[in-house]
Amino acid sequence: MTEDYTPFLPLSPAALHILLSLAGEDRHGYGIMQEVARQSEGQYKLGPGTLYDNLQKLMTQGLVEASPKPPAHDDPRRRYFRLTSFGRGVLSAEVARLESVIREARVHLRAPRRAT
Amino acid sequence: MRACYRCLLWLHPPVFRREYAGEMLWIFDQSAESQGAATLFIDGIGSLARQWLLRSGWWKIALALSLAMLQIVFGGFATMIFGHRHFVEPAQDPSIVNVAEFAHGGSIGHQPLTVGIVMYLAVFITGGLTVMVIGLTLWMKSFAVRRRSALRKAS
Repeated sequence: MTEDYTPFLPLSPAALHILLSLAGEDRHGYGIMQEVARQSEGQYKLGPGTLYDNLQKLMTQGLVEASPKPPAHDDPRRRYFRLTSFGRGVLSAEVARLESVIREARVHLRAPRRAT
Repeated sequence: MRACYRCLLWLHPPVFRREYAGEMLWIFDQSAESQGAATLFIDGIGSLARQWLLRSGWWKIALALSLAMLQIVFGGFATMIFGHRHFVEPAQDPSIVNVAEFAHGGSIGHQPLTVGIVMYLAVFITGGLTVMVIGLTLWMKSFAVRRRSALRKAS
């Protein structure tokens, strides 16, 4: 059965960046902030307030969950987060939606302007 | 600035504070120099507003209060504009308020403000507020139930 992700779309920029940063590996809050800054080449910076507010919402929606235990070499006080399979599905659906938006935008920007 | 940020975290709802305040303070210590303490403080204010107004449901009461205020303002304008057309002679004794006349379009514009009128307005406003809060809560509950069933279907 194909899952319907439409109630979650479109994602807010903060939610999209958080899910993207968790797509590769489990991360703690500060790690997510650094990864978001890296992915956007410093153009989008998340503050801790925005980050944890969005993480709380994403956890309530079941897109993100707390990772069972942090890696052995890391500070045990830090909490790690990971993407659920449902969250991965939502992220894929959002990326597909954005791809269609970009495709459409390219077609319209390439087409010559008609006089009205 | 760290103490101010700590106070800001303390103002967040208890559930959020217990879960994330420690990590937020730790991140503040780590990134205050690179991102700027003021930027992080403004971000914290935004989070505080979202937590109380959007996530905790306080927005329902704020909305109900705003609607009640709007209702009172419109009521006042309506009385100012149309009140004089339905002017009712004031009662002999100004302390006696003819509530029945008032309720059927009578004006209070030319009557002295008495305890009775104030009580009548207080009951009216409180009743309006209660109805709005209950209405909004029920509406939000039905919205949440529909959303939950949609999410359950999706997962």
